[in-house]
Amino acid sequence: MMTVSRRPGAALAPASATTAGPASPESVDPALFVPAAFDAAEAERSGYARYSYWRSTLRTFLKSKVAVALIAAMLFLTAFSFLYPLLSRVDPNAVSLDTSLWNRRPGAGAGPFGTDGLGRDMWARTWYGARTSLSLGFIIAFIDVGLGMLAGALWGYVRRLDRFMTELYNVVTNIPQTVVLILLSYILRPGFWTIVIALCSTGWLSIARFVRNKVITIRDAEYNVASRCLGTPLSRVIGRNVLPHLVSVVIMEAALTIPYSIGSEVFLGFIGLGLPLDTVSLGNLVNLGRNNFLLYPYQLAWPTAVLAAITVSFYIVGNKFADASDPRNHV
Amino acid sequence: MTHSIDGAPRAPGEVLLSAEDLVIGFSLRGRKLTAVRRASLTLRAGETLAVVGESGSGKSVLAKSLLGMLDRNGRIESGRVMYRGVDLAGFKTEREWLTVRGGRVAMVFQDPMTALNPLKTVGEQIREAAALHRGLDKAASRALALEMLGRVGISEPGRRYAQFPHEFSGGMRQRAVIAAAIACGPEILICDEPTTALDVTIQAQILDLIKGLQRDLGMSVLFITHDLGVVAKMADRIAVMYAGQVVEEGLSRELFYDPRHPYTWALLASLPQLGVKGEELFAIKGTPPSLFKEIRGDAFAPRNPMALKVDFEREPPFFDISPTHRAKTWLLDPRAPAMEPPDTVKRLKARIAGAARAAGVAAEAPAAGAAEAPAAVPEGPKPKARRARAKNGKESER
Amino acid sequence: MSAEPILSVEGLRVRFGSGRKAFEAVRGVSFELYRGETLSLVGESGSGKTTIGRAIMRVHPAAAGSVRYRGREIAGKVGAEEERLLRQKIQMIFQDPMASLNERAKIDYIVSEGLYNFKLFKDEKERLAKVEKALLEVGLLPEFASRFPHEFSGGQRQRIGIARALAMEPEILIADEPISALDVSIRAQVINLLNRLKRDRGLSYLFIAHDLSVVRFISDRIAVIHLGRLVELAPAEKLFERPMHPYTKALLSAVPVPDPDEERDKRLVVYDPASHRYEAGAEPAWREASPGHFVLANEAELRDWTTGS
Repeated sequence: MMTVSRRPGAALAPASATTAGPASPESVDPALFVPAAFDAAEAERSGYARYSYWRSTLRTFLKSKVAVALIAAMLFLTAFSFLYPLLSRVDPNAVSLDTSLWNRRPGAGAGPFGTDGLGRDMWARTWYGARTSLSLGFIIAFIDVGLGMLAGALWGYVRRLDRFMTELYNVVTNIPQTVVLILLSYILRPGFWTIVIALCSTGWLSIARFVRNKVITIRDAEYNVASRCLGTPLSRVIGRNVLPHLVSVVIMEAALTIPYSIGSEVFLGFIGLGLPLDTVSLGNLVNLGRNNFLLYPYQLAWPTAVLAAITVSFYIVGNKFADASDPRNHV
Repeated sequence: MTHSIDGAPRAPGEVLLSAEDLVIGFSLRGRKLTAVRRASLTLRAGETLAVVGESGSGKSVLAKSLLGMLDRNGRIESGRVMYRGVDLAGFKTEREWLTVRGGRVAMVFQDPMTALNPLKTVGEQIREAAALHRGLDKAASRALALEMLGRVGISEPGRRYAQFPHEFSGGMRQRAVIAAAIACGPEILICDEPTTALDVTIQAQILDLIKGLQRDLGMSVLFITHDLGVVAKMADRIAVMYAGQVVEEGLSRELFYDPRHPYTWALLASLPQLGVKGEELFAIKGTPPSLFKEIRGDAFAPRNPMALKVDFEREPPFFDISPTHRAKTWLLDPRAPAMEPPDTVKRLKARIAGAARAAGVAAEAPAAGAAEAPAAVPEGPKPKARRARAKNGKESER
Repeated sequence: MSAEPILSVEGLRVRFGSGRKAFEAVRGVSFELYRGETLSLVGESGSGKTTIGRAIMRVHPAAAGSVRYRGREIAGKVGAEEERLLRQKIQMIFQDPMASLNERAKIDYIVSEGLYNFKLFKDEKERLAKVEKALLEVGLLPEFASRFPHEFSGGQRQRIGIARALAMEPEILIADEPISALDVSIRAQVINLLNRLKRDRGLSYLFIAHDLSVVRFISDRIAVIHLGRLVELAPAEKLFERPMHPYTKALLSAVPVPDPDEERDKRLVVYDPASHRYEAGAEPAWREASPGHFVLANEAELRDWTTGS
């Protein structure tokens, strides 16, 4: 009859009713040739594959081993940074008057990360510092993204705002970030909330712009026209039609804002406008460690390693999530 | 390994391309979708074969597989595609495909907006195709490209050659795409819903163009569409696909005036063009089956009010109605009870009987049949009119 | 059909852009919609048909002209009460079932969106009852209310869109190409549904389409639009039997008919706008060539077309 040739190298298709071929008439029981009862309700049952956007996003995300490893790292680092201070009794600010405990290398009697120039335990300082820096990152991300999302949604949806916002954006983003940071830090003496204000003051606008571009692509989609035809007020259109479509964008932006904020804090520390020196933060640790780098490299190396681990993992996870949340990659 | 395929022209009616029992699967979100479940097609020299089906029927997938253009997650699982003695389904490398693509088998896609490179001039894109497949130098291929532009009805080819795709209207872009396709001198032209995205008047002109080119260049055309009106205009033979299988195939007249498969009946009966005012249209209930799951028996059974018990149990084989017409339904088994097609289908049949009678009586325009027959052009169809040709000089396009 | 039009459009003009870049999509369109009828507006892309629908829905502002609902002017600014009434009485269904429903909202919210906007219910129970009634009327099950749009097929989604419009209990339904994005076997379902609703609820339809052969089945009257102007308006059968305007003829000849013998004999007529001679003094106007049959023609053309074929 038919010779079925297979593509070289192709796996054998599983034997199933779909590929087994038609039945030969002789083999069929003649009693079956009567009309079957037609069930219209059964016909309505849709034979559709259930597609859940979030489930597919998760699946695609988890497919990447790098993403899985890094999100584990990210969660571990965050958890540890916040749990350590609660569980440990070591005081990161405890200066030792015993000079023999100063600048001790990591190892016996001096903790896993050693001690710094004043005998303070580097392991404790690193994790306290991570907690501070991460808190900074989370708060900035929350404010930036919250403001940016709302502003961007309105900017994109309400045509009349576009001109004003675009001009504002052009002006603000053309001022170098550094200058703004330095100015604000001078005016509002250095502190935790100063840095928050300084970084949020311009950060939300970039996010707003990004969100606005996305919103413009959906602004004239038919379901939004339908809402306008039904007389839905702007607040509800933004709230139920626009924002829910931005969730994946928002998560990605948040994930990327965190390493950026932490990096900015380190930079400010470099130029002397960071957190006060008595606050333990990764930026301050890096700065202090910098001075002793040639003699005691571990004092710089360990905080930097933790900083890098946090930054890289957030950044890459953010990007992987962005890829995974694009429906075109849901294959 | 490259195959050198012989290029001797085939006599009209000889089989040129034959897809046999193709099974094509996709891995989608961790599951397997069998888009084509043992479908066979034969394309003969000099004819137009239309493949009709709805979305999900597998017609586009089948067409793409003939040129190795399936998406990355798709594969021909079994079956053969025989073209001049070579099994195209066995091709693995791009190099092998290039011996066939373009020069032998060319394809025109649905969306003319994305089929052309926006960064290159239209003329250059056509010239490239000609140069690559006909081995011509720059001057010769440019001359050929200009000739092709003229052939597809683009006025002022010299000026248009240097323009970019965004300066063309939708219909003209599609003409340019067709020009690029025929510039390669193919034997077979596959058209995947080439006019679906175009306006009706432009569509009619493009369809006339394809018909004219087929005749003049002696090509065979495989025409994929969901529009039965377009099929009536273009096809010599028709294959109707449902849920990944060919369920009925035959000559154009056989399928329209004597369809035998319940799905073909349902398709024809549900057309608003053939509806009678005041009556409800015949509507097929439900939706096509999910091709992720195994299908038991006849795929159309759950939606078929004329289904037999056997339709839910065993897949029907093809039954021959005439040497050119066959359908895959248990209704054609001698043991099956006689089933009447819906009224609309019967009316179509009656119209032909009426026309045949009238043609024997008067030499005037053929009988318009029942009152609801859609009116043709007011000039009145002449009994033995030649096929229409678009007036190339007077287009209503930009 | 009663003698009073429920909707009348006169000299409607809609412009996009401003200043030098202004583009007039609708250039002086006039027609009337009578109670209980289906008037189809047929044209190709760029003809302005969708824009007319949106202008009537007040989604696009009209640059000039008037739109009257039951004799009251509704183009331009209207009071809050009037706006509330209009949003109920004139509803729209859209072309693309995949894009016209909010993917992130449940069917329950989608169907009752209009009800929420104007507080058209006393309490939650009443609202749920209205949603259920709308869903049943389009042939869907009430249990679908708790699901999301992506779980449904194209035909079902289109029916959800119709339920959304019905929940407002409108009098006029503007259908913007409601079947062109649907599979051929699903179109009949939706067409039957629309016809049945019209009969049962006494609705009036403005049916916007690009396929002449499809509208013949459902329309009482058909208007043909080309580049922002109506070129012909007539009862459905008359338009097919005695088209006057060359564009109408071209459109008719271009539509493929599912009948091979007829298709083979058909000759394609191409519309050439330059064939009109519209110099000063011979401008075309919207004229009634025979009772109920309007055409855009100047005097000479009117003479030719009514006496000729």
